[in-house]
Amino acid sequence: MKKRLLIFILLLISVFLPSPPVSAETFTCLACHTAMKAKIRTDKGILIEVNIDEERFSKSVHGMIGCTACHKTFINNPHESPKGDVGKGIAGLVSLIAPKAAVDPVAYSACTDCHSDIYKAVSESVHGRNIMEKKQKDGAFCLDCHGSPHYIMPAKSGESMVNHWKIVTTCGECHDKQEIAKKYNLGTHIIERYQESFHGKKYALGHPDAPTCVDCHGAHGIKKWDDPASPVSWEKRVQTCGRCHPGATKKFVTAITHKPTGKDNPIPYYGEKILIVLTLGVFLFVVGHVIIEAFSEIRDHVFRKKKEDSHD
Amino acid sequence: MTDTKPNEYLRFNLTFRMQHVIMLVTFLLLAFTGWSLKYPEPAIEHAGWWIRLWGGPKTAGIIHRIAGVTMLIDFVWHVAYLAYMLLTGKMKFDTRTTIVPLPQDVIDLIHNFLYFFGLSKTKPQFGRFSYIHKFDYWAVFWGMGIIGLSGLALAFPTKAQYFFPGWSVNWIWELLSVLHSDEALLAIVFILFWHFYNEHLKWDKFPMSMTWITGKIPMETFKHEHPLEYELELKENPDLSMNRRSS
Repeated sequence: MKKRLLIFILLLISVFLPSPPVSAETFTCLACHTAMKAKIRTDKGILIEVNIDEERFSKSVHGMIGCTACHKTFINNPHESPKGDVGKGIAGLVSLIAPKAAVDPVAYSACTDCHSDIYKAVSESVHGRNIMEKKQKDGAFCLDCHGSPHYIMPAKSGESMVNHWKIVTTCGECHDKQEIAKKYNLGTHIIERYQESFHGKKYALGHPDAPTCVDCHGAHGIKKWDDPASPVSWEKRVQTCGRCHPGATKKFVTAITHKPTGKDNPIPYYGEKILIVLTLGVFLFVVGHVIIEAFSEIRDHVFRKKKEDSHD
Repeated sequence: MTDTKPNEYLRFNLTFRMQHVIMLVTFLLLAFTGWSLKYPEPAIEHAGWWIRLWGGPKTAGIIHRIAGVTMLIDFVWHVAYLAYMLLTGKMKFDTRTTIVPLPQDVIDLIHNFLYFFGLSKTKPQFGRFSYIHKFDYWAVFWGMGIIGLSGLALAFPTKAQYFFPGWSVNWIWELLSVLHSDEALLAIVFILFWHFYNEHLKWDKFPMSMTWITGKIPMETFKHEHPLEYELELKENPDLSMNRRSS
């Protein structure tokens, strides 16, 4: 009887104990890969992190996926396993994204196994084509925006790099770099210009409806603005702006350009200069008048008090 | 008793007092809710807690729009009321009682500065409105025109677009934002210094004159601060001087 009660209690406890969220195979990998304190240098001389924060990994959207789902094989395999078949799709992609993924192109390409629709959109986007067609290192691929694949959180989570409150910083990682802007003939200081704009100011204040980069430009399938498929192209802009501004017309939607102020846009630029002179002029007159009058009041009431009294 | 002689002079009737209170309340609401948007850079710490005090950016935006429209209605009411008063002859134009700036105001300003610096022994003699009052008053008109109209355009951009010609679209919105926020800052600075000093901090006004609530000023103050208007009133109503004696 006592033995049965003990078993029952142990079973009850086991229900509430956190069960290991990973498969047995992953558990084996993590036995070492949660305890590796040093980084490892690859054959190409790149220093890589091989340790996994198990807690963050198990909480991430991919926490239930086994290691070998993505790490199908290693190019210079340091282990006996895995030696899985990478499949045709990934084998093809490995060579395409070579400029981007210097360390582990197989795992880098594995996202497409599950996210094939998103992969299609990215491969047709300016970012994907810059990597796969123009063989450039620049251009965002999955991990550039979403962060380490081991710790990806849902987009609604504040920890996600693509969250509403983080996405401008994330886009700015590349688009705030003037050398990138010059290399690809993009607008310079566009993040700054966005932050100065009404949209950007509302965003900085924490307005939940304030548009960020992706609300107007799109995300995975992002195109250059003059591509008719881009949501900010002249063909689609009325519709895109109209989502928040019903009644927007062609005339209305030309307003936003992210162009730098100054000689390009002289009226607001010099307009502001004139307003500053006007404001300072009024300010000087008002403050000067008040201070001088205050001194004369002090003089009248403190130092000329007796004189005034004698008048009465 | 009806024959009790008042020792106060009614300077502002109830309509003017109500218009002033609406102006004051909406001005403060607009300044407080709009301030965060002028300096929203996260580097400036106050923006965060200040906007939360007003219910967050969304609620603050609604308060700002309602207060703005209310202020504009108040302004239209004031102008319409003045037009009615002048057209029906209930209010008459006189250089000693008008709010309209006149060359005499420039002379008064110079005279006042001479007094401040001790170069004149006398203070300028003011009518119903001194140049200080006139500056305070017309600043509101400037603000209504610039801040009010640009604010309306910014609040209803898809309606406002029809008023702007095609060649202006590349700069008009930028210009409107700059006008709205820079002139708002000017208005806040102006109220803080000009209005607060002249109506609150002055030696004999501190902490404030109650005229904005009662509409009345003591006869002694009336005679002292608005001598020209006092003389005018005295001509029309000789009882005033008796009031002074009785008080």
